[in-house]
Amino acid sequence: MELVTGGAFQGKLDYAVKKYGLAETEIFECTEDADPDFSAVCLTHYERYVMRCLRNGTAPQTDFGGDQSCADGVCDFSGGAHGPLVIIMDDIFCGVVPADPELRAWRELCGRTLTALAQNAEEVTRLFCGIPKTIKP
Amino acid sequence: MTVFISGGCKNGKSTIAEDCCLALAKGGPLYYVATMQAYDDEDRLRIKRHRKSREGKNFITLEQPRDLLECLKSSDPENGTYILDSVTALLINEMYSPDRPDADPEAGERTAKALENFAKSVRNAVFVSDFIYSGAERYSGYTVEYQKALALCDRTLARCCDAVAEISGGIPVMYKGELPL
Repeated sequence: MELVTGGAFQGKLDYAVKKYGLAETEIFECTEDADPDFSAVCLTHYERYVMRCLRNGTAPQTDFGGDQSCADGVCDFSGGAHGPLVIIMDDIFCGVVPADPELRAWRELCGRTLTALAQNAEEVTRLFCGIPKTIKP
Repeated sequence: MTVFISGGCKNGKSTIAEDCCLALAKGGPLYYVATMQAYDDEDRLRIKRHRKSREGKNFITLEQPRDLLECLKSSDPENGTYILDSVTALLINEMYSPDRPDADPEAGERTAKALENFAKSVRNAVFVSDFIYSGAERYSGYTVEYQKALALCDRTLARCCDAVAEISGGIPVMYKGELPL
């Protein structure tokens, strides 16, 4: 799995779409209102799913097992047996501590979730003004 | 050469940008494109502090709070080295004005285009922006529109500049090319 992070509007999804040739149907945009489709190739706005977990009192999914990397650019997602290939998450935890207690808890849970995802990811890439920088491996 | 610099506030972006300009000028004229309009004492203090840090560096100040390309007419783009500090302030002035209550929805694209043209028209330029994309606060519509528009300007400059650096604690982290230091 590749984890893609960085600030809002920095070109994270553009990067993933271009790198993996993702079709629109392969991208699942997470919301706070429903569970994500973990069989999707790419999950974006993972931080919104983290907010959902916070409200439900559940632990965000960070370990999908197996090896989701693509050999020679060919990926096998038949039957959704594998976890996502790409997870995209905004680094919402860099700003000032919010006054709102829920946003405070969300901010911390996002930090811990990203750290756990990064440990389980084969590759971690950070986007800065549209430019990717691979920070793992 | 063109350089794009961003990063957190009070992390030394302006100082590094000015040093880049001094290294690039090589005897040619040095221009400081002043984008900030003072609305209160805090603004005036900030301008005073920036002016003081430029003292003795021989910058010619070009007051250009909006319509960036206009300042090329009153300067020497072929030989000049320009510092634009900051993209953030320029976009604010393009997006909001005292005579319109709402944000100009075309400001982002217009400013990004002007910045690209500016970068292509001058001998050397160093652009300074602010990294404002990584907070947990839920901003109102106007603020998100502003973030989106600034991200468009930043990404346009990062694409067309020769060097791109994030300044963290006064230390440049390179994303593209090298700084002329």
